[in-house]
Amino acid sequence: MNNVFDRRDFLKVLGWGGAAVALSGCGNGSVENGEETVVSYVETNDFMIPSISVYFNSTCAQCDAGCSITGRIREGRVLKVEGNPDSGINRGKTCGLGQAGVQHHYNPDRVREPLLRTGNSGEAITWEKAYALIAEKMNGVSGEEIAFLSGGVSGHLKVLLGNYLDSFGCKNHFVYEAIAPAVVRAANKKSYGVEMPRFNISKAKVVLSFGADFLGAWISPVHFSQQYAQFRKGADGQRGVLVQVESKMTLTGANADRWLVVRPGTEGILALGIINALGSHGVALSGDIAAAVKSYNKDRVSKDTGVSAEQIDKIAALLKTRTPSLVLAGSAAEGYAHGSQNAAAINLLNQVLGNVGKTVEAAEAVPFPQMAPATGNTVALKTLNDGLNAGKYKVLFSYATNPVFTAPGVMKFQDNMAKAGFKVVFSHYMDETAMQADLVLPLDSALEDWGTQVPEYLATCAQINIQQPLMEKLHANTRGMGDILLALIKQRRAEDYKKFDDYYAYLRAAVLQNKGALGGKAIADDDIFWNETLSKGIIKLEGPVKALSSKASVAGLMLPAPVAIDAQYPLQLIPSVNASLRDGRNANQPWLQESPDPLTTIVWDSWVEIHPRKAAELGIVEGDIVEVTSKNGSVKAQAYLFPGIHPDAISIPLGRGHEAMGRYAKGYGVNPFQILDAVFDKETGELALHETRVKVSKTGSRVIVVKDEGPAGGSQMGKKIAARLPSDKVKLSEEI
Amino acid sequence: MSISTLLENYSEFRHFHPVDDVPHNPYKWAMSIDLDACSGCNACSVACYAENNLPVVGREKYLHGQAMHWMRIERYWDEDGREFPDQGAQFLPMMCQQCEAAPCETVCPVGATNHTPDGINSQIYNRCIGSRYCSANCPYKVRYFNWYDYPTTDNVWPAEMNQQLNPDVTVRGKGVMEKCTFCIQRVTVAKNNAKSEGRLVHDGEVQTACQQACPTSAISFGNLVDPESRVHKQWQVQKVELDKDAQTKDKEEGGSDLRGYRILEELRPYPSVMYLERVRETAI
Repeated sequence: MNNVFDRRDFLKVLGWGGAAVALSGCGNGSVENGEETVVSYVETNDFMIPSISVYFNSTCAQCDAGCSITGRIREGRVLKVEGNPDSGINRGKTCGLGQAGVQHHYNPDRVREPLLRTGNSGEAITWEKAYALIAEKMNGVSGEEIAFLSGGVSGHLKVLLGNYLDSFGCKNHFVYEAIAPAVVRAANKKSYGVEMPRFNISKAKVVLSFGADFLGAWISPVHFSQQYAQFRKGADGQRGVLVQVESKMTLTGANADRWLVVRPGTEGILALGIINALGSHGVALSGDIAAAVKSYNKDRVSKDTGVSAEQIDKIAALLKTRTPSLVLAGSAAEGYAHGSQNAAAINLLNQVLGNVGKTVEAAEAVPFPQMAPATGNTVALKTLNDGLNAGKYKVLFSYATNPVFTAPGVMKFQDNMAKAGFKVVFSHYMDETAMQADLVLPLDSALEDWGTQVPEYLATCAQINIQQPLMEKLHANTRGMGDILLALIKQRRAEDYKKFDDYYAYLRAAVLQNKGALGGKAIADDDIFWNETLSKGIIKLEGPVKALSSKASVAGLMLPAPVAIDAQYPLQLIPSVNASLRDGRNANQPWLQESPDPLTTIVWDSWVEIHPRKAAELGIVEGDIVEVTSKNGSVKAQAYLFPGIHPDAISIPLGRGHEAMGRYAKGYGVNPFQILDAVFDKETGELALHETRVKVSKTGSRVIVVKDEGPAGGSQMGKKIAARLPSDKVKLSEEI
Repeated sequence: MSISTLLENYSEFRHFHPVDDVPHNPYKWAMSIDLDACSGCNACSVACYAENNLPVVGREKYLHGQAMHWMRIERYWDEDGREFPDQGAQFLPMMCQQCEAAPCETVCPVGATNHTPDGINSQIYNRCIGSRYCSANCPYKVRYFNWYDYPTTDNVWPAEMNQQLNPDVTVRGKGVMEKCTFCIQRVTVAKNNAKSEGRLVHDGEVQTACQQACPTSAISFGNLVDPESRVHKQWQVQKVELDKDAQTKDKEEGGSDLRGYRILEELRPYPSVMYLERVRETAI
């Protein structure tokens, strides 16, 4: 509906929109101050017609993929977000997580005032007092004594933040993401020369994915989902084949033509086994590769991984005959102490198959390195945690991350955080980390704030995404992160920043200053260019392309033999990442809590996935409350018998188990982050998420599992409900 | 027409759904869903909550089977006794199938649910008395009853959250049945726009919320009687006919190799949603 609109009207609307919102963005409370009066609809802005919706473009901030959105606004309220069709990333589409962005904006549990800790409670203070307090605490503190922890940041926010920290000579910006593909990035850098190449799923005839949940929660799922749909239709009528290798079925695994369960941690061994099998199918292998995979014959690999020799042969045959293919190393493969090695072995398959340059392509970089995304990892958290433990930091800032919830319990982050002298948390909710702060500064929601964002995964071209308010602020005393940083940097370098009244003015000046490079060469008038930029919501750029290195190397590739089963802790814990709840930052959005997990259909709670065979061995039935114990603690949750998991593994989803944050998050489920073992990838030092060993015991109580699945479970009871045809029977090219 | 004329000449006026001699004109809204593209991600379902003011009922009421998801994703496993589901799962987006001869319509004691001229099974909230016969009679279990007054229930739409409610869609009160409407509020806007311009709604002008969100574009929606519409062409290529309770193509020897089918067609509800079978590779 909103895709078909009158372009000219739209621009007119945004011309006004930009200006109108800019005014409200800076002063805030101008009505209260008597500078403006409340005007009835008799005299509205000319775009504000009761019952007629207007649409503004912005950027989704529910995850870091950078999908462009179009907000539907009526009577000054944002009602719904849709995808912006002009974005090469999401092409007009959205995921459930993105749809729930409005529930973040309208959330009843948002923090509304700056809060200063007095004992165990927070006292509401003014922003002036908050800023003065920060200035006071930062006075005389050296750069080494300041730590700034954040989630992934990019764009002008990153620029401002960098400049603020520079003004203290502070180099301690820790970028932390609890479930980032950090090991894969490092492995890609080694294999291809770049951390994040472009994966052309739609061009591949076969996708062999080692635990990359690209339809669910991996890197840029909405983009990959569209690619997947094209891949299934096939460029020349030959439908793409998806083979997924993992120990716990992900959403992507559930859509595979062949889902192969492997013994946890043996993904790299299987990759080398497939290379070996390709060699025997006549694919030319260079001498060093042939030597490296020589011992990975079918029988040995089959024994190590649990994948049958016949299946390995079939995969090799398929990969040889249908080219180009694409091999992906995902989070399930990287989550081990030898995660880097797993990823390197998997990437090697792409080299051997000649996919580099075809389906693994070089991506443009954003030509402004200062704005390029700072991506996070867990090494940063570990370094910060060690520093906090040693009492190195007098002031700690935390923004867009919740380490008290997501750091493994064994790190004792909460205790170490207490050792920092003064803790400032910028937050939307009183989440676990905000609860530990001395000063909590309430942020604007993503739908009422200004910003620029550069996605890490650039799907079609280099682009800078524009974030703009879709409506007036809901709460008078929240602030945008950009405005806060601007106020803080003015405390240090007033002269440089005095001409910017607010972050909007800064952004506008920044964009106009570089108009030529941002596609505005032909537009003389600044206002026209700026309004056009806002109306598009995306600045598309030509960026430098760094060619991928396609030289395969096996130097240093060493895969450990599969680990023997530990008698005391016989099971491997797989903390799973659900497309809606991810690392738990969106857990207070009720649509997501009530959106069933696609595979188990469970809502509002955590569960322990266990294979029916193992469950029978342990005498566990569905709904049994089981205690999952690791060396570092235990959690209790309901058991769910799930056929898509290795019998020697169990899985608990991440994201639930909040002890704070809000009414829809607190008290629902358990938090498996708390019981993780502190095992790290040997090369990168990243936390190995899948390396925790556990035992499971029954507690004796049992509940009814709250799920969408009916009493028939996954059975169709002999009816043709969800039907299937074999690929050799259908003629997709003849379809519409 | 007087009632006596109607009764005396009933065979002339008698109206079957679906009507093969007088098809819906000029609109018959229908859908097709490609299960080979659907990844089961649930985006459609959340988009439906956002568009149609669906209440979040919470854990306890969900346990009681009182969830209000007009669009839900069903997940099925293969039933051939293999230890691992090594061909993945089967996902099925399920919502009101907008049946032409809807079993829910005939049992409503007050005529709250009936057929619109453009082929949508409508629900008139202020006529509904909550007998729930329709829900009992629905073979797809896609009718949802308001057991509570959600607008006044704690934490369903607390302050601020209520500002998100779509003003184009009624917020339903206690004792009322509700279900997927094919986003009739969007259809109505498109029809009115077209009417004021003296034309018909053209294909693609109206999208349902689930279709618009769907990351794999698995859902098509449009006017089945418009020969230019994608839905019409899909139904035609798949040889699925609206007014059949068993498709001619399925009577071929060895079955049809076309993917189109309708769920529980044999019950003769004549659903308006065609699904395209999922495909699984034979070479691996």
